[in-house]
Amino acid sequence: MAELSCEGRTTRDINAEIRRLMAVGEAVTARSPGARHNLAVALLERGEVVFDGSVGYYCAGLMDGATVRVRGSAGWGLAESMLSGEVVVEGSAGNSAGAAIRGGTVVVLGDSGARTGVSMKAGVILVTGSCGYMSGFMGQGGKLIICGDAAEALGDSMYETVCFVGGKIADLGNDAVVVESTDEDKEFLDTTLSRYVPPSLRANLPDGGDFRKVVAGRKLWNFDKAEWRTWEEAL
Amino acid sequence: MAESSPRVLQKSGIFSSRVIEDIQTKAESGVYRIRGYGTLRERRWATFDDLTFLPCSLTRIPLEGYREKCETRTVLGTRFAEQPIELDIPIMITGMSWGALSYNAKVALAKGASEIGSSNTTGDGGMLAAERANSRTLVYEVLPSRYGIDVHHMRLSDGIELTIGQGAKPGTGGLLLDSKVSGEIARQRELPAGVDQRSPARHPDMLGPDDMIIKIEELREATDWRVPIFVKLGASRVYDDVKLAAKAGADVVVVDGMEGGTGASPAILQEHTGVPTLAAVCEARAALEDMGLYGEVQLIIAGGIRDGVDAAKAMALGADAIYIGTAALIALNCNRPLYVEDYHKLGTEPHFCHHCHTGRCPVGVTTQDPELMKRLPIDEGAERVTNLLRAMTLEIQMLARACGKSDVHHLEPEDMAALTPEASAICQVPLAGTRRVWGS
Repeated sequence: MAELSCEGRTTRDINAEIRRLMAVGEAVTARSPGARHNLAVALLERGEVVFDGSVGYYCAGLMDGATVRVRGSAGWGLAESMLSGEVVVEGSAGNSAGAAIRGGTVVVLGDSGARTGVSMKAGVILVTGSCGYMSGFMGQGGKLIICGDAAEALGDSMYETVCFVGGKIADLGNDAVVVESTDEDKEFLDTTLSRYVPPSLRANLPDGGDFRKVVAGRKLWNFDKAEWRTWEEAL
Repeated sequence: MAESSPRVLQKSGIFSSRVIEDIQTKAESGVYRIRGYGTLRERRWATFDDLTFLPCSLTRIPLEGYREKCETRTVLGTRFAEQPIELDIPIMITGMSWGALSYNAKVALAKGASEIGSSNTTGDGGMLAAERANSRTLVYEVLPSRYGIDVHHMRLSDGIELTIGQGAKPGTGGLLLDSKVSGEIARQRELPAGVDQRSPARHPDMLGPDDMIIKIEELREATDWRVPIFVKLGASRVYDDVKLAAKAGADVVVVDGMEGGTGASPAILQEHTGVPTLAAVCEARAALEDMGLYGEVQLIIAGGIRDGVDAAKAMALGADAIYIGTAALIALNCNRPLYVEDYHKLGTEPHFCHHCHTGRCPVGVTTQDPELMKRLPIDEGAERVTNLLRAMTLEIQMLARACGKSDVHHLEPEDMAALTPEASAICQVPLAGTRRVWGS
């Protein structure tokens, strides 16, 4: 595994070096990331990068295919708009973790801030701790797993994202409803937790059957017909 | 017996027929009204029509109108990008989504713009492969919805536009009603087919200008610092917003005035929000000048630009380039008296149609219906777009030469006089017939 010190280097230089090492098949450990923003942005090849410390905004944003591990916490917009790949944060994540992802997996082995999974279109987001308000807002697809508590307005205005909550739900967002989990849901949750959560932490988390499932009630998907008639006739 | 005097009917100036109809419609439905196109109000504010050019006479020497060279080459993104955009003309096609527009319309715009050395912009919903293939220069829009966002497409683009808002409805998100969310569009946007898609107003991962500094750096990292980053603003607090965008690191600032168009939006937003384009360009220029960045950060102006005259006036007031949207759609036959019976089915007439929101566009421009779309052959549409862009460019050159300029970008406020006190005060050019700027 190649080592890279982030100290004294620009973000552009760090990212370029990570890409160069990945292109030749090296796994990379980046030391002293210093909570710097925009690290590991747009990694487009398979390969592994480990940040040995906390990272700032948009770490692993716009990524496709790589595996990124953060041995610390992450700022806003973790892995935003990711197409595929895997991002694991050993600490907590700021607001909008996994925003607008279209695939891949985001794991936060701590708490995650407001709007976790906002506008997510596919993929999986797993938070072993709790999530901030409006998590899952306008989610279009994929699965958001919150092992701890969900703050206010969970799952507001969603399309087809499915949220699973192991702890308390402070408040459901507009059009969010709790429905019965299926056996497939429980199996998916157990499999996902077993795969990404270390055994020492797993013992303290709920089992697949303990999660509540939250989906869109679909009442906001379309305006009502009276309104549509108005639009059609609008002059 | 005395003759009775003729009855004199007097209509309320407040409760006009249109207002009565609007109130009664809302009293029945209980909801606000939605439509497309942009503001329908008769002009009640200062516009480009309130300015006139002052061509050369004895004080300045004109260029030969049909002979002498007048440069139109336009370069955008010289501040930080390694590969600034170079266009042959200063008029560009603004972002309009595949979804709001038909496939044929999107491809026709791309081909038409490329033919004359201009650019096209993607719009909400991501990039269409045929759009890229047919665009010489393509600007990739990053919008709050992030529909179809794809880093690979971003890296294929020639510029990135981070859209904060649009002129027709600043402060709100997009709207695409169910008839236009076809299976194909739904797949592209990763939505259930047939929903009334309401896009978010805010970006999912950033809020204010401080976040935007970091977001711009992310977009540069994703594109290897190669392409220019535009920031597009719906015109509201233009002076402050432009300063914040420039400070955040934008290469190019786009300001879209309230006359800008839309595929669908609540009508009140189109009529009662935002700042007119004339005012917006003046505020934007002042902001850049006050920061010492005028000329370093390029300015694109959009919003109801109809012809080369509007474009030339906007450039004289400070724009480096001009976006057109609705005008380009009109070139594609929007509101043309073809298939008139289908206008009637919508309860409207050619020249009065603003029913883009219905998805039943009679001329195949703003529809996802395959049969309606066939009414817009791509190559014919592209030729019309090219012709419009050519004609507009010739108009700008004509005015520039008459004002003695060998480059259209040399047009300046001194080349114009105001025809109304309002325009004089806004544009800081003298009122015609006087030697003073109104209000100064």
